[in-house]
Formats: sequence, structure tokens, C-alpha cells
Amino acid sequence: MTLIARRRPAFPLLVLGFVGLFSIGLVGKTRAADDPAGVAEAVAAAVRLATASASGGNAERAEDADRIAAIAPAMLVPCLAAFAEATPGGVNWLTNGLDRAVERMGDQVPLADVTAFVADPTRPSRGRTLGYRWLQSRDAATAASLLDSMLDDPALPLRRAAIEKRLAAVADAAEPEQIAVHREMLAAARDVDQVQAIAAWLREHGDEVDVSQVLGFVKNWRASETFDNVGGIGYAAVYPPEKQAAAPEATAWKEVAAEGDQGAVDLNAALGTLKGVVSYAVAEVDMPRGRTAEVRIGSPCAVIVWVNGEKVIDREVYHASEAIDQYVGEATFRAGTNTVLVKCCQNEQTESWAADWKFQLRICDQLGTPLGVQP
Amino acid sequence: MAAGVILGAAPGAATAGEWLGFRGGDGSGVAADTAIRRTWSEEEGIAWKVDLPGRSVASPIVVGDLVVATASSGPQQDQLHVVAVDRESGTIRWQRVFQATGRTLCHPTSAVAACTPASDGERIVAFYSSCDLFCLDLEGRLLWQRNLAVEHPRAGNDVGMGSSPRIIDDAVFVQVDCQGDAFGSAIDLATGEDRWSVTRAKLASWSSPLEVDVAEHGACVLMQNPRGLELRRADDGTAVWLWEGNVGGIAMAATAEGRVFVPSSGIAAVDPTADSGRPLWQQPKLSCGISSPVVFGDSVATLNNGGVLAVADRADGSLRKQVRLAGTFWASPIVVGDTIVAVNMEGTTFVVDAGGSYEILAENDLPGSFPSTPAVADGSLYLQSETALWKTAAAAQP
Repeated sequence: MTLIARRRPAFPLLVLGFVGLFSIGLVGKTRAADDPAGVAEAVAAAVRLATASASGGNAERAEDADRIAAIAPAMLVPCLAAFAEATPGGVNWLTNGLDRAVERMGDQVPLADVTAFVADPTRPSRGRTLGYRWLQSRDAATAASLLDSMLDDPALPLRRAAIEKRLAAVADAAEPEQIAVHREMLAAARDVDQVQAIAAWLREHGDEVDVSQVLGFVKNWRASETFDNVGGIGYAAVYPPEKQAAAPEATAWKEVAAEGDQGAVDLNAALGTLKGVVSYAVAEVDMPRGRTAEVRIGSPCAVIVWVNGEKVIDREVYHASEAIDQYVGEATFRAGTNTVLVKCCQNEQTESWAADWKFQLRICDQLGTPLGVQP
Repeated sequence: MAAGVILGAAPGAATAGEWLGFRGGDGSGVAADTAIRRTWSEEEGIAWKVDLPGRSVASPIVVGDLVVATASSGPQQDQLHVVAVDRESGTIRWQRVFQATGRTLCHPTSAVAACTPASDGERIVAFYSSCDLFCLDLEGRLLWQRNLAVEHPRAGNDVGMGSSPRIIDDAVFVQVDCQGDAFGSAIDLATGEDRWSVTRAKLASWSSPLEVDVAEHGACVLMQNPRGLELRRADDGTAVWLWEGNVGGIAMAATAEGRVFVPSSGIAAVDPTADSGRPLWQQPKLSCGISSPVVFGDSVATLNNGGVLAVADRADGSLRKQVRLAGTFWASPIVVGDTIVAVNMEGTTFVVDAGGSYEILAENDLPGSFPSTPAVADGSLYLQSETALWKTAAAAQP
């Protein structure tokens, strides 16, 4: 099983390549270009910070952050490139060092270099987003102008801001133009709340929008008979459908369709309002080519998800919350038909808010672009 | 299991000059040696106001010449802010932004910035619902970080975590209670390394660790969840006392002079040195909602979600008075000088006489939603709404 949060990036070859370019004077023309050893040292510190592990080595990382905080302005963009291979914790170490550096630089921040870096979608999204934040507080007009080409940007915060700007630009336009732009932005948006807001606007203006379709929820499922979960035993129990999770078996399957904007597979509606039970739901999803993708599930119940027999998500949490994309796991999909199996466990809580027994699931790339079609 | 002789309330009772954690550095919520002005409004009696860079339901702290607040922002609430405000001028001295590494889902009424930061006067620790813990110096330099949800992948609660860190003897104590990877840890304040860590019951709670000193064991940390209390030595984590009972999952216990006042069917007063788990007294009318009880003088007071302030004799639990305030309360009451200060969600701060009459002396309105327990230092209150931080002007000198 591969959980997204556990991913560890590979060695930062891209960044070191950039260091090489810089140190031989192909990049940059200011003080740093005259001091390639200093640049290399700074970038090496930035890479160490960016690739820091989740714990340990704090003293060394703090020293490296101090080095970054003291860099010359010309070193700023080369250090931003170190975000290319950043770990979750490494992002914070490097951000702290760079924010302090920018704070110290004052009006010496190389805005033109930062602008070019932010504008380049091939640069690491984290670094570009940080650079955009600096630009916003120093040259808001330039920052805003960059957004015009970012409607399909791989950096989600920049894409979101670009969509907001585009929508704001037509706020006073004639309704047909507004509707046309909103339709375009609905296709561009990836943040769920932004998709929902644009869809709501379109509905208010007479468009029929299938939000479930836009978000790409897997709609067609078959639910198994129920199994015992009294006392919570069912979560760990291996019932027949998961004995061969790649080709689940059950004595009875019932067709269930996901309903509503939330793409909910409501097992209470399908199987009866039950407590202390487990059911499995299976769906087939076609992929045009083999690839890794994110499986994103939301449920108020304990869930386990398998893709082609490989467990990709398991969360034994009952009635704490429910949200779209609540749990995310990475899975390998093959070209053609793939089998997704969900084990959804309902407990015995009696409160009214603990009655729901449902889930929603979609398959996306890392940006949230829906993937896969159902046969 | 009995804990031995209790020395008394946790040391380091809030001084007039600083307020170093949730309900102060000692967690008591008492600042006896200061006084605040009685009245203020948006137009009068306010020293300054600062807008926060995101949402927060945490409380501010006051350390040195800084007021430190946390906030979270972004569509996924995954941008974690630490904001250091100049205490005198209200200008932002520095601001740091971190990326959450753990879960950032939470109830719409909460925020990922739900845990009050803490300080030892030299360092600031900021903890978030995402289980990210950052230690910074007073200039905003990151000294260490712990991405605890990376270390404990199933840690977190999608309602939102709310337990605030507590600093005891150069260690920061965190309590991560949830249905997944629940644990409690003592983390060295200087290095960020674990001193000890224990697995806790897979049960959600939002209460915060509290220092209780016991003669036989020295400084101990009290952690509670809905099934009871657990007292552990601060230095090595050895469990020295367990108390089983139905305990509130949000309001945290208070302690004073050898007793622990536990939110449990009202308030139960328990003695951690006794072999018997039987409460010394239990007063059901001391009802806690989200707000934690406060012990001051010979009294204990509670505030329920509906705004009923109840005061009882802390020796025997006999009820002295119930006073109906107005509104809904998340913030815990604090005691400042001879007044009880309680802030409702609607932005009204009640100043209540703590000297025996328990009369409402003043009601002061500010705009916004106020889930946060106020801080107090040097005669000023620091009131935090979900989006802004306000400082009241100091009380006029007599």
C-alpha cells in the first residue's frame, strides 16, 4: 500500500543540474555569478533543507536555514529551484530560510528573476507559489499580470488565483459572456470548492451542470450482501469479497448508483438502514493507458480500498467527519479495465448523526483531474 | 495507583508581564496580579487591532515584547501562519508561513489553527490540527519542526484537533487523541527530539496537557480523554496515577493545591494522592461545555455553552451562585485581578465581579466571532476573533 503522505522524493538531480549550470556562469549575472562556489554552497544548503526528513537533524537544518537566510539576492532564484524534490517537512525548512532572506533583502529582492521563475510552469510549483507570494507583497500589478497565462497551471494556488481573476474580469460583462467564461473556468478548476462555486453560479444562470460528473466520481457500483461488524470486528475480518480483492466474490450483488453532487454511494438506501455491518462495493474503471493515479475516497465510516487487489487506503475511523477527497492513496492502474473494491464498515453508534453509511470515490491525477471511465 | 503528595498548583502562575500558553503558561487561566480596564468598544479603549492572515480559533500568547497568534489559510487550510505582533505598537514584526504535512480537514466552525501556541519566554512552539509542531525563536527563526502526522500516519481527526501544547521543564508536551494513531509525547524544547512518547487510547478528545506537581514524582503531566485521566512523570513518562470516569472530551481539568477539578458530570474534585478513585465531591451544576473550569481563591467556576456561569466553593463544591451571561461560549473564562472575564462567540466580553457578588460589571462588544480564550498581560486583554487580534488599552492607573 502506498499512502500519498509517505512518498519520498528521489535524489534531486534536477536541482543539482541547475547548480551546475549556475556555477559555470550560464545563469545569473549578478554578484552570485562572480562567486560560483558561494552559489553552489547556498544551493547545496537549500537542497539539504528541501530534502530533510520528517524528524531528526534539526540542529543541522537550522544552521542551513540560517545560511539561506543570509544569501545574496542573486542566489534567491537558484535556491527556489531546490523545491523540485522537497519533502513535506523540507518545504518548511526551505521556506523559513527563504522568507527570512527576502525579509532581510528588503528592496533588494530580485523581482525580475523571481517574476521569470514564477512565470515558468516547468519550475517547481512550491517555489513558484512562494515567489508569487513575495511578488504579491512587492509588485502586486506584476503578480496579477502573470495570472493571465495560468488557467491551466500545474501549481494549484496559481491556477486558482488565475481562475478567480478571469471570473472577476467578466463580472460586469453581458450574461452570455459571463456564462461562457464560467463554463471555461469550470473545466479549468481543480479545487473542489472552486468547482462547486462555479457550478452553483452556472446553475443560478440556467445551466444544467452535473457536478458529480465534473468532479469525476465513480458512479456505477455493485454492493455485496452484509457481513458482521458488531463490536467493530468486521474491519479486520476477511470476508469473501476481499479474499480475492482483484476479482471479488459474493453470494449476492446489488447494482448501486452514486447519487447527487457529492457522488454518494448510499448503502443505507441500497441495503437498508443497518448498524454493525460491513458491505463491499465493487466498480470497474477503464484507463486508456497504464499509470499511477490517486484514489480519493470520502466516508463517515471505516473504509478499505483495493485497486486490482492491492490495498491502497485503510482508515478505521467512524463518524468523525466526511468530505470529498477525505482519504487519498496512490494506486497503479493498468490499461483497460481495473477493479476497485471498497469495504465500508458501519458501526453501532446510535446518535442520529451516526446513521450515514456511505462513501464517494474518484480517481484523479495529482492536481485533481478526474481519470478513468466506466465501461 | 496513587501519585503521592501533591505539592500544590503548578508553579509559574501567570505573571503580569506574559501569558505563555493556553490559559496562561501554567494553564490556570488566572492572572491575579493585574487589572484591566472595565469597558471598551470598537471605538474606545482599544490600543490596536491586527487582521490575521487566515482563520484561527486558537488563543494568542504574550511573550517578551511580542504577541504571537496563529492562523491557517488556503482552500485546504493547509497554510499555517505564525504572526508576531509588536506588543506596544501592534505592527507585525514578522510572519512565518508553513505547509501542513498532515490532515487539514476540520469542521467549518473550527480551523487548522486551533491549538494555542506556547512559549518558555525564549522560544515559541506552534502546533496545528495537522499535527505539525514548529519551534521558533523570538525572531521567527525555525529551530526545529516535527511533522507528527508523517511519523504517525493515522494521527488526526477530521473534526479538527484542538489540544494545545504545554511546556514543562524544557519539554513541550503534546496530546494527540484520535481514532487513529493516538499518542502523547514529551519533546525536548532545545532539540525537538522525543524525551518519551506513549500510545494513547484510540479516542478523540480536544483537551490539553496540564502540569501537576507531585512531591514523590516532581513535575507531572495530566492528560485526559473521555474515559478518564492519566498522570505521568514529565521526565520519563512513567504513569503515576490513573482515574477512570466519564470525562469531558474538550474542557480540560484545572488544578490547585492538591486537587484536580475534572469536567465529569459537572465538576468532580479528585485527589491524585488517594488510592480511591472516588471524587472528594461532585457538583453537577458546575456545568462545563467547551469552556474549561477556572480555580481562583477558594472558588471554582465553570461556564457552559449556553452562558451560565456557575461558581462554587472549591473545598466542598457547594454552589455559591449561578449567573446567566448571554450568547454561546467556546472561550474559557479567565480571572484577571478581582474579575472573571468571559468572551462569547458573538464578541461580547463580560466582566464579572469575582469577589463574591458575581455581578456583571460590564459588557463590551467587538465585531466578529470570538471562539478564543483571551490572553492578559500588563493590564491589557488580547482578544482574538476568528480573523483579528485586538488589544485593549491598559487600565487607567489609580
